[in-house]
Amino acid sequence: MDILFLLIPLSAVLILFIVGVFGWAVTSGQFDEIEDEAERILTREPPGA
Amino acid sequence: MTFAASSTVPTVAAVAADLTAVDDPVERQRFTRWVPQPSGGRLAESSLQLSGLHCAACAGLIEQALRATPGVQRASVSAASQRALVLWDPELTQASRLITAVRGAGYDAAPDAAAPARALRRHEARQALWRLFVAGFCSMQIMMLATPAYVAGPGELAPDTRALLNWASWLLALPVMLFSAGPFFSGAWRGLRRRRIGMDVPVALGIGIAFVASSGATFDPQGPFGAEVWFDSLSMFVAFVLGARWLEMRQRHRAAEALEASLARLPETAWRVAEDGQAEAVAAHRLRPGDTVRVPHGEPFPADGRLLDGGTRVDEALLSGESTPRERHVGDTVLAGSVNLGAPVRVRVERVGADTRFEAIVAMMKSAADERPGAAALADRWAGPFLWAVLLLAALAGAAWSFIEPSRALSVAVAVLIVTCPCALSLAAPATLVAASQALLRRGIGLGRLAAIEGLARAGRVFFDKTGTLTLDTMQLATTRLTDAGRAAFGDGLAGETAALATAAALAAHSNHPLARALAAAAPAHAAAWSDVQEHAGQGLSARDAEGQRWQLGSPRWLAAEGSAEAHSRVALACEGTLLAGFEFEETLRPGAREAVQALHEAGMKITLLSGDEAGRAHALAARLGIAEVIAGATPESKLAAVAAAQARGERVMMVGDGVNDAPVLARADVSVALASGAGVARAQADAVLASGDLRDLARARAIAARALAIVRQNLVWASLYNALCIPLAVVGWLPPWAAGIGMAASSLLVVLNAARAAR
Repeated sequence: MDILFLLIPLSAVLILFIVGVFGWAVTSGQFDEIEDEAERILTREPPGA
Repeated sequence: MTFAASSTVPTVAAVAADLTAVDDPVERQRFTRWVPQPSGGRLAESSLQLSGLHCAACAGLIEQALRATPGVQRASVSAASQRALVLWDPELTQASRLITAVRGAGYDAAPDAAAPARALRRHEARQALWRLFVAGFCSMQIMMLATPAYVAGPGELAPDTRALLNWASWLLALPVMLFSAGPFFSGAWRGLRRRRIGMDVPVALGIGIAFVASSGATFDPQGPFGAEVWFDSLSMFVAFVLGARWLEMRQRHRAAEALEASLARLPETAWRVAEDGQAEAVAAHRLRPGDTVRVPHGEPFPADGRLLDGGTRVDEALLSGESTPRERHVGDTVLAGSVNLGAPVRVRVERVGADTRFEAIVAMMKSAADERPGAAALADRWAGPFLWAVLLLAALAGAAWSFIEPSRALSVAVAVLIVTCPCALSLAAPATLVAASQALLRRGIGLGRLAAIEGLARAGRVFFDKTGTLTLDTMQLATTRLTDAGRAAFGDGLAGETAALATAAALAAHSNHPLARALAAAAPAHAAAWSDVQEHAGQGLSARDAEGQRWQLGSPRWLAAEGSAEAHSRVALACEGTLLAGFEFEETLRPGAREAVQALHEAGMKITLLSGDEAGRAHALAARLGIAEVIAGATPESKLAAVAAAQARGERVMMVGDGVNDAPVLARADVSVALASGAGVARAQADAVLASGDLRDLARARAIAARALAIVRQNLVWASLYNALCIPLAVVGWLPPWAAGIGMAASSLLVVLNAARAAR
């Protein structure tokens, strides 16, 4: 099971990396208007219509 | 509402760097009103938007900080609406100092004008989402890493593998502790510094001790903390609590956005007309009394004023809930926030900014919300005693063990502190209330404030507004009466009345008068050959039938003047000057109003009709609905006084209303419900909005709220039962750490699952 000593630290680092990416996504405003995106099809004219 | 690209939106940091602008007199006017003093001077009353509040105790801390600022006369902070109302002396201090004082206490504040508040809200929302994600995501990974320790038999897990798993768990628990749990620690620290204990203190203590003990176990398994780790339970708990707080925050933000959306009716720019007749665009908050502004067709008025020329129609729905446009002529008053529907007009500005009627109503409403009787969060009331009991127990257990077996004293004291981490206790209320608010939403009742559920379940008295709430704003036919001549013409009894009504309805169909429409709606459409139909304004209709006879339908006084006998009905029908029939009208009840009043009576609530209408009509309506208590002829101020008096008697008050004149009362009542068809400001101020407009939902909402409160009680009992069972075991040193960990997770999960029942 020696491989665990490589894989577990690797997964821990990967998790921290994912958390960082999510933080970037939040601060760049991707989750600010979630409902707006879902309702856009109902409220706005499609381009060129 | 749409946002511009993120690069053009001012960030919180940009607002913070720009405090000097707050002291600019023109900018200051946007969030400050002036209160004249008897001594001759004047004080400023500023409204600040706060952020960073987690609990009711935070409000007290900010109040203390503001009062400590020289020149501040009075400061009241509402935790629910996250606003501070500060009365200050412009001779002694400046608006920017108030904001600095709030920041010094560890919170943030911005002038309560919409844009900076929105930026603050967005910042808070992003932070909360990120914290929640970090806690949730990391706790899932930590649980996977913790699983081997739970499922492995004795000796199956090699010590070095266990050390590796513990080390990885510790690494992933770091962001949870340092970042996600930050609000608990800063909240607890703020509370301790001001000697006020909220739920944050025992929570921070519990997770802090658990983390320190687990870290000790990770790096020194032979050390004083033992070999067991609790990273999984503590990170899961942090994720649960943050999840509940995040849902609560979203609800709060939505309510704030609704309020701002209705305030956004005031335009940002106005067309000021100079002496030479040239119009220039200026910011609306730079208008001064005496200015002349041009208001184009379709735009809202920027300030209160008088029409200088022309006539127009205005829509005051936002201010009065009245949806029909009103006529305005030269010299008439127009109100800020109402919309110009007719021709372009010029207006002489009389009142601006915080002095307008619109802002006065908003200010009254906000201060009523701040003076709501103390509703400290359910759990916060117990936080202080709970903390002291736990600390005492841990100290006693440690002291006792230092005599029995000194090497185990520390680990026993730590075990007591860990098992008493009030995880389940602090989740009991918020998780249930969030679930119940979803159940209410599915039935068309939107909640603006979670704590409203407690008010909804406990309210003992309901105040109903009359017009627009219990009644619709139309009339309906109540009775038809025939005169002797009428009986001869139409026949006797019901058949005669129906025939008279059919004739009257056919004639009434030619008019748009509200009573005529009610009459026309009371009988099936009936094609009659009327000729020479004339409408006499304010009097009635006259027409000739196929035989050339002259019929009249209208006010009895008009008919009397034309030769008919006097009658007492609102509307009468006459043929060739002979009175045939009279018609009585009543207000149309809102569908379900009668059943709703009955259901609330059966639920044991006292009901009062609170109406601005004259006594006769209010009492007549109350009698139809079976309401015993009536307060008629009420102004917004006397409505507020009536609710305050009931609260002073110790009653918990629910208010149901729809108009702007109800808004202050809605803000003051323990729980308030507005109708979706009501004025925007009333909707924004209410705790709950009835989307369906069906009053029977009130009784249903009350039942859901009562059930939710029962579940909260069950949860509290369960959580304290768990603590009561585990503490003695931990004190005597018999509680294996794995059992403590599982118990902690299981009690939190049980509470969350039990809370989910409230969502059904």
